[in-house]
Amino acid sequence: MAWRVGIAAVLVVSLVAGCDSLPGRPRESDRPISPSQVKSFARLYDENCAGCHGAHGRFGAAYELADATYQALVDDATLKRIISNGIAGTAMPAFAQTAGGYLTTAQIAILVDGMRQRWKTGRPLVDAPPYAGPDGDPGRGARTFAQSCAPCHGPKGEGGEKAPGSITDPSYLALVSDQSLRTLIIAGRSDLGHPDWRGYPPGQPLSAEQVADVVAWLAARRQHFQGAVYARNR
Amino acid sequence: MLVEAGAWLDHRLGVGASIREAARHPVPRSSASWWYVFGSCTFAVMVLQFITGMCLATVYAPTADRAWQSLLYLNYNQPLGWFIRALHGWGSNFMIALVCIHLAQVFLFGAYKYPRELTWTAGVVLLLCTLGMAFTGQVLRFDQDAYWGLGIAAAIAGRTPLIGGRVVKIILGGPIIAGDTLSRFFTLHVFVIPAVLIAFVVLHLFLVLKLGINEWPMPGRIVRRETYLAEYHKMVTEDGEPFFPYAAQKDLVAIGLVIAALVVTAAIMGPIGPNGEPDPAIIQTVPRPDFFFLWLFSAFALLPPWTETFLMLTGPVVAIALLFAIPFISGTGEKSFRRRPMSVVLLVMTFMTIGILIYLGTYSPWSPHMEAWSGTPTPVDYVRGRTPLELQGAILIQAKQCRNCHSLGGRGGMRGPALDDTATRLTPNQIVRQILEGGGNMPAYGKNLSPAEVNALVAFLETMHPGDEPPARSSINPAVAPSY
Ligand code: HEC
Ligand code: HEC
Ligand code: HEC
Repeated sequence: MAWRVGIAAVLVVSLVAGCDSLPGRPRESDRPISPSQVKSFARLYDENCAGCHGAHGRFGAAYELADATYQALVDDATLKRIISNGIAGTAMPAFAQTAGGYLTTAQIAILVDGMRQRWKTGRPLVDAPPYAGPDGDPGRGARTFAQSCAPCHGPKGEGGEKAPGSITDPSYLALVSDQSLRTLIIAGRSDLGHPDWRGYPPGQPLSAEQVADVVAWLAARRQHFQGAVYARNR
Repeated sequence: MLVEAGAWLDHRLGVGASIREAARHPVPRSSASWWYVFGSCTFAVMVLQFITGMCLATVYAPTADRAWQSLLYLNYNQPLGWFIRALHGWGSNFMIALVCIHLAQVFLFGAYKYPRELTWTAGVVLLLCTLGMAFTGQVLRFDQDAYWGLGIAAAIAGRTPLIGGRVVKIILGGPIIAGDTLSRFFTLHVFVIPAVLIAFVVLHLFLVLKLGINEWPMPGRIVRRETYLAEYHKMVTEDGEPFFPYAAQKDLVAIGLVIAALVVTAAIMGPIGPNGEPDPAIIQTVPRPDFFFLWLFSAFALLPPWTETFLMLTGPVVAIALLFAIPFISGTGEKSFRRRPMSVVLLVMTFMTIGILIYLGTYSPWSPHMEAWSGTPTPVDYVRGRTPLELQGAILIQAKQCRNCHSLGGRGGMRGPALDDTATRLTPNQIVRQILEGGGNMPAYGKNLSPAEVNALVAFLETMHPGDEPPARSSINPAVAPSY
């Protein structure tokens, strides 16, 4: 009998004495918050962006946001606009509540600031073609392509040993924006080994005009689909 | 002093004698066993639930806009509020577990047989009331899981032919889950079901006293309507002991242990929920019903779709009817489980099935994963070395939320097959058809995808075969013979 009383006494005493430090007591940090109150960059990024742009902004199926060259190229306003409104005609969704998404203006600002803090590590770019610019000329673009891109992508962009797969495939071109091509050519993708504007080949940086021309040449390969044409239907 | 007051009261009321009689009533010596404590334990936990429930009701606000907030207040502001919530929440789980054990024991020991049929029937009502309390209580938590639990119930009810819509309206107080829903469930949880519960507990206990506690079943001792009562009477007069303290000792110890276990569990595990705010506009959630309904949920997830409606509606009705019918189906005969192998097998199978279903429901993501599409990156191996078009396909798998139902690299929903090795099963044409026409519980995407998008998806999925396994090919294209 005595041991039972003993156990009960120990229980009661420890309960009363330690009730603030009991493991079951909910901590302030467990308090559920509604999605619109999430303020941590890591959580916002993981829940909203990592799926396409990759964990920590690298090795995603979509563009490498953690690329230092890219972060140096693009400005805050552009990032904010793209995240808020998405990119029409592509898979990049609009995130702002005003555009039908789930993020508040404050959360989008947190995303932009967080990306800058984490990933904008390098010095400013010297002589880089600007993020956006006037349209180029496809005719001149063909020449630049042959010279700068064909070594890896093949003469018609159909793919080569160093870069498998066609970049002139009509389905591919139908799914990406011209800006995304421009971004890739200027800033490259360090995670998948794509050179930036200085590297086609090293020592012969592309000018803003040449970049615009190549984009125009690629854009001219874009075909407009009519009805359901499945290129690979066999 | 106390004794005098007691005597005064007893003189006016005159119940002392009957209480003493009830406490002293003889029980078969064999029934003072540890196997017989579960009923009392359930009762004790129920009383505790009433007490903690009353405490909670003083703070809880049963309105849609304040219910969730008041639970947060209990968890984070009210001193020890979290503990009362934890006791009540885990108490509910304990009570369900104890009721089930009690039921299994009564079933195994044949205690439901003549003349105790009505005791069993009342017990089944109590089981249903306990489940009803657990369900309505879960709704009162009014978080996203509550929405979900209710959503399932409403979906089941809504499938009733003809009156489905009306039933849903009665349950929810409208076509959707809203403030009216909450007041209905509050009334059920606090007034209606407890009243039924108390009434049937009284009946149940009265019957236990009146008919006597079931004796330990001996193989070969057959229950016969003509002789049982006399035999039982003989047993308790010749070889009986007073219920108090002889049998009650074990009950009291067991009750103490169960309550201690409950207190420790509550202290360690803490209160259950509430999780996210129940805002229908928030779809970024992975809701899950509480475990006692999880098995139903996984059963429905596993059923072939065409049987669902039928089984959902008839299954529970038949199961409950069977439970009620047990003492009328086998009201006499052998009591010992040693001589009732079928009953034992039946019981073990039932518990195993429910256990496995709960396990499946806990560890496999049946439900579409609402956040999987955005949260989970494409495995890096599926990004490296892919062509631009294939990468677009990988993006579309995320963008079109295919991963709500399909996993890649082990992460994502499980409604559909994992896509990691899809190309070993399907040819490109079959993939196109699956995506465009859907089928087998997959929606048809034909109208929602552009041809370029379909091409990209197919290009990506065509790469989904492990390096050492060749892709599937159509049988009209003969395999190319390896050249030596
Ligand atoms: C469903 C897939 C998907 C998700 C989720 C997604 N993106 Fe994108 N994102 C894309 C695609 C595809 C592009 C390229 C679109 C184009 O221009 O062709 C893109 C482009 C961008 C760009 C522009 C790159 C450039 O060319 O300058 C930024 C910035 C960006 N995303 C940021 C984000 C952020 C931040 C998030 C999370 C809030 C996010 N994305 C979530 C698919 C996604
Ligand atoms: C050193 C070799 C190399 C050169 C030179 C090169 N690329 Fe690439 N390119 C790659 C590789 C590797 C990939 C695949 C990885 C990737 O998507 O970034 C690629 C992919 C691409 C893609 C597809 C990106 C996507 O959406 O997935 C485009 C478009 C592209 N290159 C355009 C160009 C253009 C235009 C040039 C010339 C200005 C060029 N590349 C020069 C190696 C090269
Ligand atoms: C609502 C859930 C759901 C969604 C969303 C969904 N699927 Fe499915 N999918 C299924 C189910 C279930 C099956 C199995 C169909 C069957 O058994 O015939 C399936 C089968 C498939 C298959 C054949 C798999 C195999 O190996 O046999 C492919 C390929 C596929 N889905 C692709 C997709 C793509 C691509 C998307 C997004 C555009 C998608 N699914 C979205 C549920 C879904």
